[in-house]
Amino acid sequence: MAFLDFITQWRTNSRIKSLEAALQVRPTPALYLQLADAHKESGNSQKSAMVLKSGAARFPSAPEIIRRQAEAEKIERENEKKRLIEKIQTHPNPILYARLAELFKADGELERTVDTCQKGIKAFPKYGGTYLVLGQIYVEKKQWQEAAAQLERSVELDKYNYLALKLLSQVYLELGRPADAAQRLEDILYFAPGDEAILELLKKSKEKAGQPFGKKTTAVIDQPRPGEAGARKTIRIGKLAAEQKGAATSQRDKQLNDGVATLRAVSGVTGAILVDQYGLVVAADLDSSIDEGLAGALITNVYRTASGNATKLNVGQFEEGLIEGERGNVHIVQLDEMILAVFAKSDVKMGLLEKSIRDFAVLVVQQPS
Amino acid sequence: MRDILAKLNKTNGIRGSMIVNRDGIVVASDFSVEVQESSIGAVASSILSALEGALKRIDMGRFSRFIITGSENKLAMVDAGQAILLVLLNRDVNMGMVNVEIKEAASAVREKSKM
Repeated sequence: MAFLDFITQWRTNSRIKSLEAALQVRPTPALYLQLADAHKESGNSQKSAMVLKSGAARFPSAPEIIRRQAEAEKIERENEKKRLIEKIQTHPNPILYARLAELFKADGELERTVDTCQKGIKAFPKYGGTYLVLGQIYVEKKQWQEAAAQLERSVELDKYNYLALKLLSQVYLELGRPADAAQRLEDILYFAPGDEAILELLKKSKEKAGQPFGKKTTAVIDQPRPGEAGARKTIRIGKLAAEQKGAATSQRDKQLNDGVATLRAVSGVTGAILVDQYGLVVAADLDSSIDEGLAGALITNVYRTASGNATKLNVGQFEEGLIEGERGNVHIVQLDEMILAVFAKSDVKMGLLEKSIRDFAVLVVQQPS
Repeated sequence: MRDILAKLNKTNGIRGSMIVNRDGIVVASDFSVEVQESSIGAVASSILSALEGALKRIDMGRFSRFIITGSENKLAMVDAGQAILLVLLNRDVNMGMVNVEIKEAASAVREKSKM
């Protein structure tokens, strides 16, 4: 039986390779479906789902791929919900609540979404991501005042939160506050310059506010707010969790921070930062001259632009990015639901750095995130 | 410009390349696989905007190159003066082997763009 299983597996792997090669030359919906089936047969349902996602992005009008992708995503969401609910019981942290709330929201379970957000806010009141999800619910319900309250709180906790700022500006427009909307949009352009969607919204807001629309923006985001003078505003999830919860979470935070510090210690590395799906800093070790929150927002913006368009660029799903500038490099790596960015000098030993990043990746993936 | 791309594409591991201006308009392209050129050009322009903003704010100097590794392929976006050179590569290509060719192609594009 073992030999037969081996032969079957070998045949499936060969089929996978030939389908992948065929997709490179001339992609079709049928090929994506066949490849997804082959991965599923070989027991890799995660890879199968990724293939369907790539196929759906490439052929958004192909009904069978869209249907299969929606099915696969629903199954993934159910599995993820179970996993998160278990983890919240044993190793709670605010990211889990926000993620779980998002999954309920994706399935239209609004009451459970609100309930999860409220529990998350009660347990971790200083994490902006949960207020963002709650704000999104109120936007869907067209409860603009409530939405504004939640989103304002989210932005207060994390002034570089692109999603929260953008949604808040749209809510302000609904509330007849175009000048406030314009201000929030200008704040976004500070760390996401040239963002076409934001520029469009800004133009619309300024027209409604009777303000001139010019290329120069007047972001106030880089100025400290009252009571904040000189202090960096960074949300350290682990640190906040440690203040409120027990040893398990603070141990995780310590391990992530130690991991980031180990990366920083590699010769040629000038800093490292780990951010969650909202761009909020989870762990960081940077030069004191760099605002962690801003660095997190900038990197998230690059990641979001590149990963969101990875299929259009013909690279498949985004895995890593390497930015080379005159005075150094930035390595961006997707790790589970988080993004790692490592800043390094141009002469850093790439082999050593890549090994250190891989070691850190193992640490992150093993963590009860 | 097409000659530059044709020469570059002869390198092992390279699946195709294109030149776009900084607004994302395609100047020349040469791919051995099916791609949506105008989409790639537009996306490259958005990414460039995000990259230049980030590099400026964190004081890393002028943009030089961005390499994206995906599940299927790699893409290199290279500064070529007034234009951007985009090179689609096999996912597992050894970058050390293609770096020289890409650099030469970018220099050639930079020179031609000045004319």
